[in-house]
Amino acid sequence: MANYYDALLKLCGFEDEIKREKPRIDKAFRKLELGPEDMKRAERWVSENHDVELLGVRKLLRAWLLELFDLVLAKEEGKKVVYYGYPSIQGPGMAIKAASEEASKEVYVACPDTILCHTLGQIFNKLAPVLEAGEQNGLPPGHGLCSLQQIRNGGLAKGIIPVPDLVTSSSYYCDMGSKADELLHDRYGHRAIYVDGSMDSRWGEYPDYLPQRVDYLGAQLNKLFDTVNEVLGVEVTQEAWNRAISVSRQFFHAIGQLTRLMTADPMPISAVEVSLALQLGGASTGRAMTEGPEAVSILCGEVEKRVEAGIGVVEKGAPRVLNFSASFSDPSIMHMMENTGLAMSATLLSVPPPKAPYPTTYTTLGEIRAEGEMTIGMYHSSFSIAKRFEDAVKTLNIDGVIWSYLYNCRPSALLSHVVKKWVEETTGVPAISLEMDIYDSRNYSAAALRTRVEAFAEMLRARKATAKA
Amino acid sequence: MKALDKLSSHLRTRLVDLRRAKEQGRKIVGYTPGGYLPEELVLACGAIPICLIRGGDHAPVELSGAYICRWIDTFCRAQIGYGVSGDDPYYGIVDLFAIPITDNHIRAISDVLDYNTNIEIFPFGVPHMKEKVAFDYYLHGITRLKARLEELTGVEITNSKLREAISLCNRERELLKEISLMRQSQPAPISGKDFVALNHGSFLADKRIMVETLESVYNELKEQSTPASEGPRVLLTGSTLAIGDYRVIEMVEAAGGAIVIEEFAEGIRPYWEKVKADGDLMAALADCYFTRRVPPGWFRPGKERRDFLIKLAKDFNIAGVIWYQLMYRESYKTESYYFPGLLKRETGLPMLTLESDYDQAETEQLRTRIETFIETIRR
Repeated sequence: MANYYDALLKLCGFEDEIKREKPRIDKAFRKLELGPEDMKRAERWVSENHDVELLGVRKLLRAWLLELFDLVLAKEEGKKVVYYGYPSIQGPGMAIKAASEEASKEVYVACPDTILCHTLGQIFNKLAPVLEAGEQNGLPPGHGLCSLQQIRNGGLAKGIIPVPDLVTSSSYYCDMGSKADELLHDRYGHRAIYVDGSMDSRWGEYPDYLPQRVDYLGAQLNKLFDTVNEVLGVEVTQEAWNRAISVSRQFFHAIGQLTRLMTADPMPISAVEVSLALQLGGASTGRAMTEGPEAVSILCGEVEKRVEAGIGVVEKGAPRVLNFSASFSDPSIMHMMENTGLAMSATLLSVPPPKAPYPTTYTTLGEIRAEGEMTIGMYHSSFSIAKRFEDAVKTLNIDGVIWSYLYNCRPSALLSHVVKKWVEETTGVPAISLEMDIYDSRNYSAAALRTRVEAFAEMLRARKATAKA
Repeated sequence: MKALDKLSSHLRTRLVDLRRAKEQGRKIVGYTPGGYLPEELVLACGAIPICLIRGGDHAPVELSGAYICRWIDTFCRAQIGYGVSGDDPYYGIVDLFAIPITDNHIRAISDVLDYNTNIEIFPFGVPHMKEKVAFDYYLHGITRLKARLEELTGVEITNSKLREAISLCNRERELLKEISLMRQSQPAPISGKDFVALNHGSFLADKRIMVETLESVYNELKEQSTPASEGPRVLLTGSTLAIGDYRVIEMVEAAGGAIVIEEFAEGIRPYWEKVKADGDLMAALADCYFTRRVPPGWFRPGKERRDFLIKLAKDFNIAGVIWYQLMYRESYKTESYYFPGLLKRETGLPMLTLESDYDQAETEQLRTRIETFIETIRR
């Protein structure tokens, strides 16, 4: 007998495992309160917003759904649960996962909010009830509170994601995540570990930094690993770290290849699909590594064929735009931008980050990771982010920049005007500051943003035409 | 109160005095009012510390809109407005603006002014946890500041100069504490408005004049006859209480309430602890300013501050708590959701949460809510 979700899952790249996984799928959808009507709406939403003609895209959607099932059922399936925040330093989550596997412990490690964005948002277009639950449970609307935290809060309040055993907060970057974790700790009593730091560099200091910043952040990361050992009985060793790097290398290598393909003219696929791939690596330490590499490799092969055939989703010669980030939950926003004729081909991540010093003089895992982060610059300072924009524009021969800052994310919002000014001053390339919420599009929908993007696109086209003439 | 009148008179001419001092070669060091800048370092090198603490006015907030979006704390946007426009003359006379980076809102002041103005900014980090490594980080920050101040003024901060400055600042804290503690008696001998005026005065006044003023106030209060009665006793707490942001205090007192104790992350000088002026003086400063200071709401976890609020409520025999936060300070907004439950469990007291964007349009709504609250807690 057919299941009410078969058509959607097939559209999302599922094959034989629907039958095999049926008990899990039934249970997960029940918890998520997703019924037949939701599946119908999701089919339409996915067909309209994702390039499902591409097997790689279908496989990516499948990986996200499998990750969602794993998240929702983690506790019931006997796993210890560890949540990390977004954004967060790449690596510790993967290392905890690798160390757990070495210790033969069942531990689920992920960023649950971004998983809900990419599944309940990108696939089911049904994130609003979760956001509303978050708003009703301590993080009200209208105060510029982080919607990603509202999603986590709402997910827990609705009982669709499990109460974790340990939460790690990116206290080195944002204040909101740590405070929201405290709110949840107050309610659910789970252990929260704050990985602290201080972004206190002066304007213009990057790529330099005070070694004390590495000492402090490094000590905080080491504290995290000690706490993991205490709470989960899992020792995060250098070997586990190396294994994590080795496991993730294949995935991130494929991502790098995909990113390079996006520089083709015409742009071969929507930035929506690239983000789908990229964010999987940020949100998941499970399916990103087991399903991710194959999905992205298949997608790369398909995209390569499009490039060879000169097929694109925007016109050849379209202005090439560097964007801060695609929406995590609402693909229609990126499509709106692309429909104005912009090739949204690049993000800050399209340019490889500066390499950390090698060999390093630091000896502990935490310090080595902290040193790497200072070099990469995303958690260094406001200036380092502005500088990374400048470097990306210069490296990628970009025609315009959309600085889609998150209004309710303070480290991003404080740069609302600065990045635009800096980019225009240092590169001469036009930039637009676009106030957005990449997790919750109820107030920042495609329709609400269209007029400004259209005007920007028109200006870029005119500028390009003038330069050509 | 005579001493308060004298302080007001001193503050009225303060800017002129500062300009004169500057002409004579004294350096003026501005700082943000989070309680993490050891003024002792500034005093010990002969410079003058001035807290950039003005607020309560929506005009600079509007001005900041050309430099930053609205989703940053109101007080911090106001500082950006003052800094870029020069509308606050204190911004125009500082030689160095030292900014202890406590959270991303304060970081916004540092980054936006550093990029958009010629003001020399000296940021240093205040970690959000009370751990040994965090203490070391803060100590390193103030040690860097010491070196910059010595370079700026050409004066070496010796132990004897620092000890002298510590002694003066300790006396100021001690007097503020003693005056504050007098308010445990019922009725309180000094109004909330007057105590806040004293505390705020200490951010701008010449340190010796301030200490003299506090001594006079203390003596006056000891000698004066206490008022016959008072209204409901209120603990006023929140994120920032700037100079000029007196609407809530005035409304509470006009409604018959008595603010008898305040606790703010920014804008009320911490006075509960003194610097232990023995051993390593820099470590002693860090110990007092970082370790023993009751942390603001953005420390993680925030239990120490919440426990302190409960203690204050009990020690000062409070009838109700007013939680006054500025818009978009997320740490306080989030805590304002779960603190009332804790307060109720521990003390049975009610709490009123107020928010402001320094907008005049808020005034009557604030008044109605405050009047209603005071009526409900009247015993």
